[in-house]
Amino acid sequence: MTEKEKFQRAFTPLHASPDTLTEVMKMTEQKTKRPALRRAATLGLAAALVLALGSVAYASDLGGIQRTVQLWLNGEMTDATLTVNEGSYTLRYPDKDGTEHEMGGGGIAIEDDGTERALTEEELFEQLNEPEVEEREDGTVMVYYLDQKLDVTDKFDEDGVCYVQLEGGEKTIYMTIKRGNGYATSTTKYILPNEFNN
Amino acid sequence: MFSNEAFAQNAEKYMDTVFRVAYGWLKNPDDANDVTQDVLIELYKTDKAFESDAHLKNWLIRVTVNRCKMLFRSPRRRHEDIDDYAETLSFEQPRDGELFKAVMALDKKYRVPLLLFYYEGYTTA
Repeated sequence: MTEKEKFQRAFTPLHASPDTLTEVMKMTEQKTKRPALRRAATLGLAAALVLALGSVAYASDLGGIQRTVQLWLNGEMTDATLTVNEGSYTLRYPDKDGTEHEMGGGGIAIEDDGTERALTEEELFEQLNEPEVEEREDGTVMVYYLDQKLDVTDKFDEDGVCYVQLEGGEKTIYMTIKRGNGYATSTTKYILPNEFNN
Repeated sequence: MFSNEAFAQNAEKYMDTVFRVAYGWLKNPDDANDVTQDVLIELYKTDKAFESDAHLKNWLIRVTVNRCKMLFRSPRRRHEDIDDYAETLSFEQPRDGELFKAVMALDKKYRVPLLLFYYEGYTTA
């Protein structure tokens, strides 16, 4: 067997999900532009695979159900106005100086039977509760998770990698941060630095 | 622009190629499926006239790599363990799985060229 044949046998089992083609064909049949599905995010759901968009800034009011909520933002309990509309949210909140900020996110969930549905409020809240890393211009690196605000600037090793164990939620979160190159989280183990953003 | 029928044929024909390249780059099947979807939609929307299948395949791979680069910059990319994913794949023999994992352990500057050379039949020239 040639090297080429060995290689082909090793990579032949890789196939795109049949759902991908189904979704593409649905989208082209409708001939309307829809947001593409984004990567899966584990939001603690047993029955549904949740595809979630990362947080992005929105400028416009999306309408929908609006209410005042309290949540942890950058380690501070913050009063914010949450607007939920068909699986997406807009969050408006003031900073310490009283300046209003706006952020948003959202996504869809795909059930086991392949049907799509908008994320529920609870699932959207899960998104808001995920840990965040901030690398400031002065070089300080902060980790925010629920009420925790950790300065990990001095915790990086000589390769610029830092490992942080976060408690306080339903599960322990193991976070690996690469200075200037993103971070990865897992609820089972620390992701090795060479396993992401290479 | 393709007719719906021609698009469907090409989408089915090349979706696994796109997925393999995307997975080789990103090492995450969910991200690779997302990229595959984006690339196929881009194919549907393009007005580009392809001279041959080879031309179309080259275009798809180039668009795939560009999409991967864009996604790669996102700090919120998620990780899936290669071993976990390998367990979901049906390898003919255990050594096939070992080769898969060994290749995926390489840096992406080697992974993707290896895939294009050995699997997709591209030359090094």
